[in-house]
Amino acid sequence: MRMWVYIVRRALLLIPVIIGVMTITFAILSALPIQTHLIAVFGASKVPYNPEVPCGDVGQPGSGNCRNPTYFQLVHQLGLDQPIVVQWAEYMKNSLTLNWGTVDYHSNAASYFSLTTSIPVTTVLGWYLPYTLELAALSLIIILALAIPLGNYSAVYRNRPIDQASRIMSFSGFALPGFLLATLALFAAVILSGGATPTCNFSSTHYYDWYGSWPPFPQCANQPSWIGTYIQTSPTGFPTIDAIYHGDWTLAWESVRRMVLPALVIAYGSVAGILRFVRNSMLEVLNLDFIRTARAKGVPESAVVSHHAGRNSLNVTVTVLGLTFAGFIGGFPIIEDVFNLHGVGLLLAKSIQPTQDFGLIFGTTLLFTIIVVVANIVVDVLYAYLDPRVRLG
Amino acid sequence: MTIPAPLGPAAAPGTVIPKGGRPRPAIAQLKRTLYFLSRNALAMVGLIIVVFFVGVAVYSLTSPLSDQALQNYCSIPYGGTPLIGCQQICVYDSTMGPAPAPNCYPTNGADIGFVGPTANLAHLTGGPLPLGSLQPTSGSSPFYYSIYDGLLKGSAWSLGIAASIVVSGALIGLALGAIAGYRGGYTDEFIMRFTDIFLSIPGILLVLVIVASLGGYVSGLEGRILLLVGAFVITWWPFYTRIVRGQVLVTREQKYVEASRASGAKTGRILVNHIIPNSLYPVFVQLSLDVGAIPLLIGGLVFLGFNIFPTQWFPEWGAMSANSVGNLQTLIEACQFGSCTFPWWQIFFPGVTVFLFAISVNFLSDGLRDALDPRLRR
Repeated sequence: MRMWVYIVRRALLLIPVIIGVMTITFAILSALPIQTHLIAVFGASKVPYNPEVPCGDVGQPGSGNCRNPTYFQLVHQLGLDQPIVVQWAEYMKNSLTLNWGTVDYHSNAASYFSLTTSIPVTTVLGWYLPYTLELAALSLIIILALAIPLGNYSAVYRNRPIDQASRIMSFSGFALPGFLLATLALFAAVILSGGATPTCNFSSTHYYDWYGSWPPFPQCANQPSWIGTYIQTSPTGFPTIDAIYHGDWTLAWESVRRMVLPALVIAYGSVAGILRFVRNSMLEVLNLDFIRTARAKGVPESAVVSHHAGRNSLNVTVTVLGLTFAGFIGGFPIIEDVFNLHGVGLLLAKSIQPTQDFGLIFGTTLLFTIIVVVANIVVDVLYAYLDPRVRLG
Repeated sequence: MTIPAPLGPAAAPGTVIPKGGRPRPAIAQLKRTLYFLSRNALAMVGLIIVVFFVGVAVYSLTSPLSDQALQNYCSIPYGGTPLIGCQQICVYDSTMGPAPAPNCYPTNGADIGFVGPTANLAHLTGGPLPLGSLQPTSGSSPFYYSIYDGLLKGSAWSLGIAASIVVSGALIGLALGAIAGYRGGYTDEFIMRFTDIFLSIPGILLVLVIVASLGGYVSGLEGRILLLVGAFVITWWPFYTRIVRGQVLVTREQKYVEASRASGAKTGRILVNHIIPNSLYPVFVQLSLDVGAIPLLIGGLVFLGFNIFPTQWFPEWGAMSANSVGNLQTLIEACQFGSCTFPWWQIFFPGVTVFLFAISVNFLSDGLRDALDPRLRR
């Protein structure tokens, strides 16, 4: 099979998954009370969105409950009185045409990001997605740079100190809560960078050296125009690329520096599973015949490990990366929340409490799911490239 | 005349053949597993810690704390008298006079926010030692919370929630995975595509969305815990289904399954008697791994500000850890004026509990994998 045929075939398999995911979110959404839908679209109202309200509220005589005409009109307007299949079709159509609703500007997320008008959810996601992607890319680089050599070494030096150390590291990375590790790392960084008394000088400049995706801009004049009002950058949205594009090397370096610590925390949590898989596959490969042949030929041991066996561990890493990607990306809201990084995860974290913005919650969830699905396809294609048996078989 | 030893593989060390004949295979298998497990030092450390936590959970069920006390967990106003139903902690200003009640702990008048862990050594014999206190609100009357009691009471909740999630997820996964793997064909395709859909949503986000959407419908302790468990089960079963299916695909090709089929056994009998028991081991490994991860995930949800539990200071390990970390900023701001000790114990003890549980379960799982998989025993 040619490579592009494989890619097209793999992409076609995506369609049922996307439809299924959207059906699940639709099922959860339709379990929401109707009032929640109405409030999300039309904002809060003085008369509650109930089919029956006290007669005085709708200007009717009498003291009992009366039919609320506004409720039925709005429900009809939203199509919530349609059969469930029609609603599902409408939901699918809107989702696929990127009509994901608007930000509820009463919500906490809106006030945190100072979104003053009802901006479409997709626009907001578009602003902050590049930041998350850049953070994810940096963490992936760190994970790969750690997992492959450490995994290989701990297989070669099995049950030696380096193997035990990497085992303990991977287990503790799995067992430490992300929020705890992230907060401790943040405070350690503040203390080590000179804010020696973080306990009693909390809003120090040292703190803001590590907290936030940009240094605080005290006056509006100091903020470059390519960082917009909502801390979104232009033209691409990728902070480092934009800073370089505008020739501001200081800010480019600053944006990368602020990403390194969160990326390290993410990597520490995710490297565990991958490292173990690399080690185990390496152990299996090292027992195979072609390795013995290579050794018998007199190939130096370092070349055997790096060239003959090492290539194989790359395949495994790619596979496991695909498997763990969902868990990896699921940790982003917490890390971005701790470090106050303006990415999609922070958007989700801020849209939860105290008032929930369901447009943003479902939008970010759908976006994260799409990232995972796309990443899985990329992984499959990479795997097919690295191991031709996959697409030939 | 001596009877020659029967041919066949030699009995593994640790297998004792009793006088009455060979032991039942299940028991022999269990003994063998325990033997291999006991050879693994890390796994034994993990086992000991897990057993300790289970013991604590059982002990905590005898704790006099009622559910009522859980609802308003030890919020005693500073300097006030202990409330009825919440007699766990009382604090008093040690410069003002002697302790008013046996369970009262001295604080420094200048540093009223904190009951440090070392300040109470004298009370070791007098009642529960408060490992520390949390002060969520600065300014108004301080709020004290016994970390010791929280961790004790939380052991039952944490272990119970984690175990019920994992066991129900594994049961669903076993049933679906066994059917998918054994039947194959369209059934297999259908079930596995269905799991693919669930697997592509990042797990914690699915839990979050479900709890956020349906949280408005349920109230009360039982309802909220059930919702949480349900949301986790919905997220968790696909992992088990995939593992079980992979294992069943191997098991169903074995000779004993063929023999059973040849002698006329029905599908259900083959599944229950042969396929499922022989596909269990990867489930055990995964199950023991996941039990440790659940408090961490619950902590993550609480950290994001989810009101999963009926009260903010609900005694669940993950929630306690998340609350203490989330509270750090407030605490530090509270002691910005004047000197105070950094309340390390408030973060340390819940964090260490969650960490120890997760890592010991990890060690155990790693040991189980080695002990249960014959290929790794070398």
